[in-house]
Amino acid sequence: MNFSFDEYANVNSPVHRWDVRAKIIGLLVLMFAFASVEDLRLVPVILTITVLFYSLSQLPLEFLLRRLTYPGFFLVGVVGLLPFLSGNTIIWQGGIITIRQEGCLAVLLIASRFLAIFTLGLVLLGTSSFLTLIKGLRSLGLSPILTDIMLISYRYLFELGHQFQKMQRATQLRGFQPRNISRRNLQIYAALTGSLLIRSYQQSQQVYKAMQLRGYGTPTQLRTPKKVTLDGYSAIALLLTLLIASSLIGFELFL
Amino acid sequence: MHISEGILPSKILISGYAITSLTLWYSLRQLNRQSNPSEGIPQAALLTAAFFVASGIHLPIPPASVHFVLNGLLGAVLGWYAFPAIFVGLLFQAVMFGHGGLTTLGINAVIMGIPALIAGFIFNLRNKTKLKLSENLSLNLFGFLSGAVGVGLATLLFFSLVITHLPSAWDQDTEKAAIYGLMLAHVPLIFIEGIFTAMVVNFLRRVKPEILIN
Repeated sequence: MNFSFDEYANVNSPVHRWDVRAKIIGLLVLMFAFASVEDLRLVPVILTITVLFYSLSQLPLEFLLRRLTYPGFFLVGVVGLLPFLSGNTIIWQGGIITIRQEGCLAVLLIASRFLAIFTLGLVLLGTSSFLTLIKGLRSLGLSPILTDIMLISYRYLFELGHQFQKMQRATQLRGFQPRNISRRNLQIYAALTGSLLIRSYQQSQQVYKAMQLRGYGTPTQLRTPKKVTLDGYSAIALLLTLLIASSLIGFELFL
Repeated sequence: MHISEGILPSKILISGYAITSLTLWYSLRQLNRQSNPSEGIPQAALLTAAFFVASGIHLPIPPASVHFVLNGLLGAVLGWYAFPAIFVGLLFQAVMFGHGGLTTLGINAVIMGIPALIAGFIFNLRNKTKLKLSENLSLNLFGFLSGAVGVGLATLLFFSLVITHLPSAWDQDTEKAAIYGLMLAHVPLIFIEGIFTAMVVNFLRRVKPEILIN
């Protein structure tokens, strides 16, 4: 199982140099501004902004296309029927198939918003390592319990994925090749899942003991919190991004 | 059963984040009240990772295949940790596979996490109910209910949100009919998830019963 997503985190681009806290705030606000777009006139604008950010990030196009395939199919599954079912204005009819204008416009809007938000999300996640992102979220006020769960889960995700693959291969070597649902097949899947949960539970007890030995959970004397500072480049980039986002929301609300 | 980017309007996405923040705050507050809250963190983290991996099991239903949701099982095993665990799991799915999304993370956590908490509550009712059931039957019954209710509620929330908020020209009756139709089509899957959850909790009781005491 390949779970990695930060393979281009070490590229040196204007987006990579952007402070991670400012990048999280700026890009998330912009993504929400994109989600608020309902006016089709804004579609070219959000797509242009997206292209601009993706070019600035210097991430390869292949990275985007590879990531886009699966959620793209999923989106088609959700909105694929709209052009045939939604609306009253018929733009083409052949036999029992009717294509309606309102449905087509709805698909255009949803697909454009999806592409723009998804690409910006990739710019946010692909230009910082996972650890840097978590540190950024922590300094923005994310709960320490949630941060710890995230970090430990991420640490053991790959290991458990590997263990699970081995368990599945072992069942296949013993002749388990299910082609339908039966009580026996479900029981084998349940045993597989249960075994994985038990392994992870036992491992978590060892992990906790190891963490305790390193001082985890004991009250520590906190250092004086550092003053939050932002370099000039990151501050200007954040302001510009927030300005673009507020302009989009303003256009949507007042025009 | 994840809502992708771009489908829902921003007011729903922001409401999703608001409900998620509130539920996360409440769940974490419950955890902080425990005598040693840090003890449960590695356990919740590793079980989150295990659930994430196990949700990749594909069940062959010819001519296609489906995968388990496991939110009911998560609620039954993790209790209050289920909501933070689902939030983290959904974040990983969004980040690693593009399944769901960052703007939809809040609403997806509501869709999956609130039913998980309800499923956990149902599973714990087995110790409080006054019905005179054998231990085995009680575990099977409440395991089944927690699995089926977890995925059933999540399905209902998912379809209701998607169908009522798609920018379509459907009237209210068509939307209702679509939601009922889709829910009906998912009844067999809800049933299978319930049976599967009962089987897993039964396995856990036989092999490692302390895992079920959350």
